[in-house]
Amino acid sequence: MAEKTTLVRVLRSISARLAMLLSLAAALLLLSSLALAAATGSEQNRLPAPSSTAQKLYHSAQNDLLQLRILLKNGRAQSSVGSGFLIGLSGLVVTNYHVVSQLALKPEIYVGEYVDTHNKRGQVELLAVDVQHDLAVVRIDRTGTGFFKVPEQPPVLRQGQYLYSLGNPLDLGFAISEGAYNGVIHRGFYDQLMFTGPINAGMSGGPCVLVDGRLAGVNVSKRLDGELVSFLVPIRFVQELLKKATAAKKPPKDFHEIVGQQLLAHQAVMVDRVLAEPLTVKTLGKYKVPVRESDQMRCWGVSSDKLDSPYTVEQIKCAMESSLFVSGELRTGQISINHEFTKSDKLGAWRFSELAAKAFKREGFGAHKDRSLTGPACTESFVANGNLAMRAVLCVRAYRKFQGLYDFAVLTASTEEKVMNLQSRLDVRGVSYENGLRVSRSFLEAIGQEKKP
Amino acid sequence: MSATYFVETLNRNKEVRRRQAVDQLPIRIGRGYDNDVILDDPHAAAHHAAVEEGADGGLLVRDLGSRNEIFHGGTRRKKLAIDGQTIFRLGQTSLRVRCADFAVDDEVADGAFYAWEGWAPAMTGAALIVCLTVLNTWVGDTKKFELIRYLIAAVTALGLGMVWCGFWSFANRLFGGSARLGRHLFILGCGFTAMQCWGLVSGAVAYALSWELFTRYGSHVVIAILSAMVFYHLLHIKPDRARLLTVSAVAMALLGSGMMLMTNYNSNGRLRDQLFMHEHYPPAMRLSADKPLGHLLRDAATLKANVDEERTKSVDGDESGGNDSE
Repeated sequence: MAEKTTLVRVLRSISARLAMLLSLAAALLLLSSLALAAATGSEQNRLPAPSSTAQKLYHSAQNDLLQLRILLKNGRAQSSVGSGFLIGLSGLVVTNYHVVSQLALKPEIYVGEYVDTHNKRGQVELLAVDVQHDLAVVRIDRTGTGFFKVPEQPPVLRQGQYLYSLGNPLDLGFAISEGAYNGVIHRGFYDQLMFTGPINAGMSGGPCVLVDGRLAGVNVSKRLDGELVSFLVPIRFVQELLKKATAAKKPPKDFHEIVGQQLLAHQAVMVDRVLAEPLTVKTLGKYKVPVRESDQMRCWGVSSDKLDSPYTVEQIKCAMESSLFVSGELRTGQISINHEFTKSDKLGAWRFSELAAKAFKREGFGAHKDRSLTGPACTESFVANGNLAMRAVLCVRAYRKFQGLYDFAVLTASTEEKVMNLQSRLDVRGVSYENGLRVSRSFLEAIGQEKKP
Repeated sequence: MSATYFVETLNRNKEVRRRQAVDQLPIRIGRGYDNDVILDDPHAAAHHAAVEEGADGGLLVRDLGSRNEIFHGGTRRKKLAIDGQTIFRLGQTSLRVRCADFAVDDEVADGAFYAWEGWAPAMTGAALIVCLTVLNTWVGDTKKFELIRYLIAAVTALGLGMVWCGFWSFANRLFGGSARLGRHLFILGCGFTAMQCWGLVSGAVAYALSWELFTRYGSHVVIAILSAMVFYHLLHIKPDRARLLTVSAVAMALLGSGMMLMTNYNSNGRLRDQLFMHEHYPPAMRLSADKPLGHLLRDAATLKANVDEERTKSVDGDESGGNDSE
């Protein structure tokens, strides 16, 4: 750490030209280290194996491990890559929905291809998707060797237990990585397993197994702001999807309808969970503001402390940490609530109003040329909810490709104080119209102020 | 009868550039030096035409065998009966012949405000610009007071104002004879004041009475004010063209409004200037009654039809993304 800070100080103190020289030197150093690597390449065989278990596991699993590529139909250029694994002796492959989302939603533009560890390639046919748990099942033209079996009874995992994650990270080649199981995470609406081990882009959809080769989960994501904090989809959801995939007759050409239904199912769960009990009321200045603090929704407080600023701003920002991946340009199924309390004893009423107007003006509701959503349609009015008078704007956008799904946004600004202002915003993404109105109503009803003595 | 005749050479804007008195008829006109009126025009013949008394007692201009003849009303003529209003062309020179007894129009009442020229209107205009800019800066200033910010704003506004007025003064000097910078500055000051007042009044009315229309389409009033400003600038250059300038100003305002609507529709998919009213004023400014929540939510329920209709329309956005490698 001390080294790092001194390096920073040195870097700051030297001129840009010196920095350029330094980078040149660094490049030379890199080149020389590459040369070193080439020279010692022949001695690689003598390196100690990191773990014999991993070695054995990879050896037995490699025949059923696949890389899945999504290619542009026209030109067959690679658009995205992920991993997958063959189930039992069948030709069914489990992967993540987000790996094959383009096949589901744009089958006219994209095709899928698999590459196995022997570099054999073949076509991929999408059978079933599960947007909520981020899973998908595809069929390919070869069968598995039976290594990956979906157990009737999911394995009981203990914290600290070793897990092995397989896949093709960053399209560099097949790999196995070792880590530890660290419990069930409830941050999303659907359980995920925390895996303290490296999962990189491209390993999505790959299997994660126990020492004995039993499936524990499917690689799905990692925290970008953490180290080795990765997540797995529990194997019981795979089981459910596989049952559906085998029961279904012919898979649809276009999965929009199915994805739409799953999004509707998700929003029903989400809104019911959020509105299960009245919103929690917090105090912000003299105002009472509604928030929801739960496993899925976290709130953070922010206070402005600008030097010499004649006004102060305090914020409470609540948002769901999880959202559903639908496509590269659309994530949905999320709620966020923001409150901003501004107060000044130096600005007069007139200038304070200007400040409040500027803050209100900054709020946006999205472009009308968005390909996923329509432009916002809004209604606005001065309203009073019995406790507080405010200016309220409510905007709605419809999902172009998914019938019955909408984004709701509610923006309010209190109007009854000269040099004090509460501006609140609610965003509800991917809900039915009825649920959007329900959440909006609860939000608007709950904003208030302390009763006057 | 020995009347005096005046042969007037006109420019393309029908203004007299030269006026020559001739005592008697016929008046010989041409490039040659033996003419009564000599034309410095290579397209005119040496002896181009002669003005004579016609059979009916009026004047007549007769071609003397020139190559380009007499041009009038879109055709070439050998002979043309003329009066004090007729403008004809010899070569590329437009001419008019008037008799000394030509009845001129009544004099125009002198409405010019001579005291309001020069420094007085210039200072008033500049003061309006500076004061309003400083006021604006003060209203929007939510930082610690620093004089330099106000100075920069005032000097910038004044500088831009001078550029604008300099342009009009230049045009005025070129086409109207004098620069009249003071008047142009005053016009700008008044226009700027009108726009500021409109901004304040429209916002306040919209906020006080919940008449969002005032803020939704407020830019059209600003366009009208701008057109009026341009009208007055032009009127100072050409005071005798009030009618034409009025028509042009109205046309300009309509064009501006039309373009504003089209721009809004193109970039935001709606005709109005802003999606929602963002004005905010002190509570004393609120006059209309607040509505119950149910009212807003009822309105919200009606939006469904709008967005559902829009979602069926295709959008021709560009292909983006699709390159995530997970």
